[in-house]
Amino acid sequence: MEMEEKEKDNETTRPSNARLEVCDQRVKIKKWHAIAQWRWDTGNNDPEDDGEGDVCGICRVPFEGCCPSCKMPGDDCPLIWGECTHVFHMHCLLQWIGTASSKQQCPMDRRPWVTAERKVD
Amino acid sequence: MAHILEMQVQSKWNNSFTRLNRGEPGIAGLLSFSQAWKTATGFLYPRDLNDPAPRPEYSIHEVRTSFELLSKAKMLPLLMENFLEDMRKQQHLIERDIHKYMAEYEETDTPDAIARMLFRLVEWYKAWSPIPELGSILLSAYTLAFQTHIYSTFPPSFSRGFKQLIASTFSLVNASCPPPWALPADPQPSTSAAPARPDLPLWSACEALGLLDRYESLIASVCYEYIEAHVMETCAKKWEESMLTYLREWMAEKVVPWMVMPYARGARTAEEARQMLQGVGSRFDYHVCKTLCDLRLQEIFDIIVDFPDSQPALEDLKECLIRVDQRSELVRTLRKANKKRLLHPGADTQVILNQYVSIMRCLRFLDPPGVLLYKVADPIRKYLRERPDTIRCIVANLVGDGESEDSIVDENEPIQPLQQRQADDYNDPNWEPEPIDAGPDFRTNKPTDVISTLVSIYDSKDLFVKELQVLLAQRLLAVTDGNYEKERRNIEILKIRFGEAALQVCEVMLRDMTDSRRIDQHVQAQKPMPLHPTIISRHFWPPLQTSSFNMPGQFKEIQDAYAKEFHQFKPDKKLHWLPHLGTISLDIELQDRTVSAEVPPLEAAIIEHFSTKDTWGVADLATEMKIERAAALKAIMTWVDLGVLKEEDSGMYKLLEVAEAASSSSKPVARPVIEDLPSVLTVQQQQAEQMKVFWKFIEGMLTNLGALSLVRIQNMLKFAPGYDRTIDQLAEFMEAARREGLVTVKDGAWKLQR
Ligand SMILES: [Zn+2]
Ligand SMILES: [Zn+2]
Ligand SMILES: [Zn+2]
Repeated sequence: MEMEEKEKDNETTRPSNARLEVCDQRVKIKKWHAIAQWRWDTGNNDPEDDGEGDVCGICRVPFEGCCPSCKMPGDDCPLIWGECTHVFHMHCLLQWIGTASSKQQCPMDRRPWVTAERKVD
Repeated sequence: MAHILEMQVQSKWNNSFTRLNRGEPGIAGLLSFSQAWKTATGFLYPRDLNDPAPRPEYSIHEVRTSFELLSKAKMLPLLMENFLEDMRKQQHLIERDIHKYMAEYEETDTPDAIARMLFRLVEWYKAWSPIPELGSILLSAYTLAFQTHIYSTFPPSFSRGFKQLIASTFSLVNASCPPPWALPADPQPSTSAAPARPDLPLWSACEALGLLDRYESLIASVCYEYIEAHVMETCAKKWEESMLTYLREWMAEKVVPWMVMPYARGARTAEEARQMLQGVGSRFDYHVCKTLCDLRLQEIFDIIVDFPDSQPALEDLKECLIRVDQRSELVRTLRKANKKRLLHPGADTQVILNQYVSIMRCLRFLDPPGVLLYKVADPIRKYLRERPDTIRCIVANLVGDGESEDSIVDENEPIQPLQQRQADDYNDPNWEPEPIDAGPDFRTNKPTDVISTLVSIYDSKDLFVKELQVLLAQRLLAVTDGNYEKERRNIEILKIRFGEAALQVCEVMLRDMTDSRRIDQHVQAQKPMPLHPTIISRHFWPPLQTSSFNMPGQFKEIQDAYAKEFHQFKPDKKLHWLPHLGTISLDIELQDRTVSAEVPPLEAAIIEHFSTKDTWGVADLATEMKIERAAALKAIMTWVDLGVLKEEDSGMYKLLEVAEAASSSSKPVARPVIEDLPSVLTVQQQQAEQMKVFWKFIEGMLTNLGALSLVRIQNMLKFAPGYDRTIDQLAEFMEAARREGLVTVKDGAWKLQR
């Protein structure tokens, strides 16, 4: 109900909303409860992918799952991008880099690991 | 007969002449003997009571002298034979009386005639009885002959009449007025201080005639039937108070006083009477317990239905079962009742579960070790295992499904972790040998709490956990007002029962709910929108239904706008819409009216298409939206029902800008606007999906090896990677395959349908 009120106010006071009301709408949306999934923006994932998605090369768990030492996915178990374009669960990569045998290299291509700056688009 | 007797007398005469004459001169002794014989036989002669002529008078002195003389001459045995012979000759007189009274009884069917007959027979008995001076041998020979005769004369209807008569005595115990058959002239014993019982003369008569011994079991059966009738009358369906205490009071008040007459009439003191009644009293008390026990066993199913209101009835039954061993009867009766009234397709799973839980509680109360429960529960558990919705139903109870009023979860029972079955532990200091009627499969260390017992119907708790996740996911996805406190509480409780690990994904679901709300608040602050999504973590929610369609027009614009705001808020993440899920509440503004509705997204998408072009064919719309024709038609019908769309030509639908008058052809809104399509795949659906992978293996197996048993298939499938199904699940799958015509089964062997 509150939302509805706000909505009406906005229609009259905020011109930015006008774009959503372009044509003469017969259908007026009052409230829409929708379901969505979040996905990591790895830059190369297929938006139509409804399957398991890409997996972390170290633990083989999907990116949107969490690494073996975490229980909560998402912000609590973030990803890390290498300049080599490989992506891992951050915790998996840090653990890997911490081992002597890693020689601080990317486990996929054995190039020295350099964390990439994430571009915000 | 008489002739033979005379011959006998004569032959003895010769031999014993000397003895008879007693050395008297001439035959003087013989003459006095003859006189004595005449006096004695005359005195003893059984006379007709109905003969009005006065009885001949005898001087008691003369009689005594005669008997003495005969005794000295050792002629008493002969006298006895003579007397019994006279009796035989006269007994038709008694028969005549018996027939007269019995005819009266059969005509009236009241036991009064029987009572009067007994009193009359006592009169006969007394009248013919030889005096005690003649010795006990003669008396008992007489009594035996008399009783044998009357018993053999009684017609078959006598037992019935006698039973009625005895039964009528129960009402006399505390009666103030005498029974109809009471003798008016009956002299009451004046020595007794207490008023004499009106039934005393009857019992005395019975004893005199030997009926108490001869009809002992009949008299006891009258009392048994009296008890049974009373128990049935007062206790049937009366479960809310203890009846056993009441019945014992009733026994003390009504039956024990009655028992004094047939069983302790000779007692002189109360203590003596108590001792005499002990044995028979215990028999009758046993019968009370047995009768109540039988009644409660007949009623047991409904007693359990009424539990806990029927608790007092169970307390009675428990006590009765200690006294009367009817445990196996209880098991038999309850199993039969369950089979007939509970375990059939017409009964709701919820009803079966409720009754099973009540059975658990009741039988645990009756028999704490659980042997009875084990034996009764077995078929219920087997039946529940075969029902497809059992787990879902149990789980719905666990999370407090608002639909069912009576939940199987007892609010008062402490929430505890599931007890899993363990092997026997003989080092357990509390270990006890199993009860004697337990049987080989019984284990005392079964789980005892309701939830654990229900979960143990299945081999593992995994199915429950999966079903819990599905149900909680459905609940959470249906939350539109941001209030999921109930689900949060549920999850806390379920964590205690099933363990933290099992509910870990539910924790993620809850956090997704919180996060979604926080994100929505942020997005709305940036750009107010009617869209409020629940954003979920894939892999942590049960599989959802998939669909390929996209929301059109303004819906798409709103989605994109929201996704853009989201990405700005969380730059490393993107939103992936599941467009077919959720609900939309909208107004359709038409020329003459506004129609409000709350519909699934597909319905909203359909009507959006009609707002750009007012006539659509079903096929075109389905193609446009990339959905099945049937799905499109179903969504269109929602709007037809709401009077927004109308079919023009076949397959063509038009937007009704102006409402049409309700015609007879347009049916009223019958179907619900939102069908509660579960957006989450049920555990069954998930398993069926996964099982399809293994169909290839099964098909290959059956192609190469011919018909196989379920066990063989299961054993071979274990070699297939990732196969983790139980044989029950395999059986379910094979059954489904059979229904689809892929396989056939005969004598337990499965083969491919060709
Ligand atoms: Zn990883
Ligand atoms: Zn992690
Ligand atoms: Zn790399």
